[in-house]
Amino acid sequence: MSNTVVNNMAAETIPTTKKRKYFSHEGRWGLILVSPYLIHLIVFVVGPLIASLYFSLSKYDMLNPPKWVGLENYQKLFHEPLFYKSLWNTIYFAILFVPAQTFLALLLAVALNQKLKALKLFRMAHFIPVISSWTVIMYVADAIFNPRFGLANTFLLKLGLDPQRWFNDEHLVIPLLVLVAVWKGIGYIMIIYLAGLQSVPNELYEAAEMDGAGTIRKFTSITLPLISPTTFLVIVLSSITTFQAFEQIYVMTGGAADISAAGGPNNSSLVLMLYLYREGFSFMHMGYASAIAWILFIILFTLTIIQLKIQKKWVHYD
Amino acid sequence: MKNKKVWSKVTGYSIITFSALIMVMPFVTALFNSLKTYKEFTAIPPKWIPSVFQWSNYSEVFKLGNFFHYTVNSFTVTILSVIGALLSCSMVGYAFARLKFPFKNTLFVMVLGTMMIPPVVIIIPHFIIFKNLHLLDSLTPLWILEWLAQPFGIFLMRQAFMGIPKEYEESAKLDGCNPLQIYWKIFMPMCKPTLATLAIFTFMTKWNEILAPIIYLTTNEKYTLPIGILSLGGQWVGNEQYMVAAALISLIPILIVFFFAEKYFVSNFNNSGIK
Repeated sequence: MSNTVVNNMAAETIPTTKKRKYFSHEGRWGLILVSPYLIHLIVFVVGPLIASLYFSLSKYDMLNPPKWVGLENYQKLFHEPLFYKSLWNTIYFAILFVPAQTFLALLLAVALNQKLKALKLFRMAHFIPVISSWTVIMYVADAIFNPRFGLANTFLLKLGLDPQRWFNDEHLVIPLLVLVAVWKGIGYIMIIYLAGLQSVPNELYEAAEMDGAGTIRKFTSITLPLISPTTFLVIVLSSITTFQAFEQIYVMTGGAADISAAGGPNNSSLVLMLYLYREGFSFMHMGYASAIAWILFIILFTLTIIQLKIQKKWVHYD
Repeated sequence: MKNKKVWSKVTGYSIITFSALIMVMPFVTALFNSLKTYKEFTAIPPKWIPSVFQWSNYSEVFKLGNFFHYTVNSFTVTILSVIGALLSCSMVGYAFARLKFPFKNTLFVMVLGTMMIPPVVIIIPHFIIFKNLHLLDSLTPLWILEWLAQPFGIFLMRQAFMGIPKEYEESAKLDGCNPLQIYWKIFMPMCKPTLATLAIFTFMTKWNEILAPIIYLTTNEKYTLPIGILSLGGQWVGNEQYMVAAALISLIPILIVFFFAEKYFVSNFNNSGIK
């Protein structure tokens, strides 16, 4: 400890010329080492942000240079029924997904938090869907939900119930997609909650038990408030990723074979990102697609601000 | 009191076991499906377990179309991405953790800001950039961005480097080392676990990526596994059991990586999540 103090004192008493030289030497090294990010920031973030804003105010099909049209893309957007349908689909998906995954992951984390044996095994089992690509998930889900060969309909038939069209059913497709998405991601959220739970001091539970609190009382008065920062984080991150959901919908509703088929039977699972992809990369309406992108950005931004404001009412920080 | 503890443990075990079965069972079903003959695969009602395990399905997959190309492409993109991420994020993270340079604080705020920008707003301009660089329909756009220090990696490495005691640098500086040597010879070797975490995370993200491949790749031979397998699905109607086998094969590398490095994966997901 005293060595560092002596070293620091020595550094401060170095004559001024050497100090300035040292700083610019270090400064240059700093800039060199940080240069990959500098390139990233300027070429791949700031530039694109400005460009995409410009594109959203232009007509751009990639064959000809962008042609300025002002707010025309946005006007078209606000009169397009398909935009509203995709917006609703996205919101519907998020409303089902976020509470379901948040609650179930917490339940699992609480169950797993009791220092059970074979923790590693359980964790690994829950992570297999997490580390799989959506292509893998599609084939795995198909083993269950294929209308002809899948286990689900076989099971229903055995019970004497009608087989369902599952992913080909306009009303079932989004709930099913949510079910698969929750199943895929829950292992990861469970781990995040587990870490949050483990930071709750045991003494609090013991004290509550001595006051006669039951399991549910302990959960609602101790656990929930103390992990509310974690819950907040989970909800914000889940909402942001869900609103941008693309790969799952593309893969599981057959986008690879036919992009116009993607988005469920009759666009009933067309989410915003898929609508954007279709308009931009299939129809080459790059300007219009950029406008969709900015609307999505504004929605996400607003959503996050609202969540940040509401958090004061329910999130407890020590 | 003791009864309550037993009950809660039993409930806990039941919930977790039930949940683990739900996680694994669909994969097991798909595995069994991949080991069926086409007749068994399309039988109604289907049998859960095939009568004879057709392990040959798996070797047949490698003869399918461009499956071998897809595998090579996936490995190329993923390995190049991992190397790039390890090098660039550690360089930048080290600079933020230990060096003084102009605009350092502003830049770090930008790193935070970059993390919050949804990719959707910038993918179209990215596409235009690569188009102008004549890099469309090549693997390059898929891994090159990892060489430019993605924010998540910067955070991870900066955090790790900030935890290294200053004494190591001090003695190296007195020996006349420049920052690059300090970075390479002292800091990097000391942060192997964090480097492992970054490597695994990058591996998983890139191996499974779908959006970038479908945007940038148009020739079938250049496809990566996730989208290549989907393209096989269209051509190989009449042998769906091979498709399932192909998908499960693509799961193997990431499964192996995960199995051996699970502790790095999980512990650092915790740390980065709760900040």
